[in-house]
Amino acid sequence: MSALIVSVGLFCTGLYAVLTRRDLIAILVGVEIMMAGALLLLVMVGASAANGASVHAVGLLILILAASEAAVGLALLVAAARRLSTTRVDEMTEVKG
Amino acid sequence: MSDVVFWSLAACAAIGALTAVLTRDVMRLALGLGLVLLATAGFFALFGFGFLALAEVFVYAGGVLVLVLFAIMLVHRAEPGMPSLSSSHSSLVFGACLGLFAFLVSYLRPLATSLSPSSGGGVDALGTVLLGEMLLPFELAGLLLLAALVAVVSVMGGDRR
Repeated sequence: MSALIVSVGLFCTGLYAVLTRRDLIAILVGVEIMMAGALLLLVMVGASAANGASVHAVGLLILILAASEAAVGLALLVAAARRLSTTRVDEMTEVKG
Repeated sequence: MSDVVFWSLAACAAIGALTAVLTRDVMRLALGLGLVLLATAGFFALFGFGFLALAEVFVYAGGVLVLVLFAIMLVHRAEPGMPSLSSSHSSLVFGACLGLFAFLVSYLRPLATSLSPSSGGGVDALGTVLLGEMLLPFELAGLLLLAALVAVVSVMGGDRR
């Protein structure tokens, strides 16, 4: 039960950061915290499974997914900052390419 | 002993996450993220997933965190003495997140009945699973990494065209 509270708490804290922060980098950090919470929940629940190796493998694949997301997100952040000279989401009002 | 380690890691994760939510200093934000990621790796090790803990430290604390620091150095030009990160805390969003927390805890409670540290299978069993029944997801993960690499090069090199 305590493990569930920790992982869901991490997920909800990350969600709060995503919804209230106004800077792109802080929003990305919030998404990373959400990912960490979800991965933690998967591993903690899977720890009691009979086939621990499958849980291990799925956790590793999710880690790869989250790392790819972080790399692409940070590249988009740097590109947006170069083009618009800001990282604040409320100043990014144009959607023209 | 296990309980003491668990709650110490939980306290580290909570401090890191709250720092990431509340701080106005961008470097403390990165340090908060690092604390959360290291605490997560500690949880993995505590629950018997040693290789995953090591991968978390190498990939996240060693890779993604350094990428975040590079991104901060590339884009953040804060005036000296001024807080560089702003946020709009609202009680509505806080209430919604609290409600989601209560819902998820009550909904997922049946899964949490038998939580206990396990062996995690060991590295040899992990290799057998990755190159056996999970070969297709494993290959697709490699394809995803290649696609992410091409996307990053394309996005960052887009200004030169």
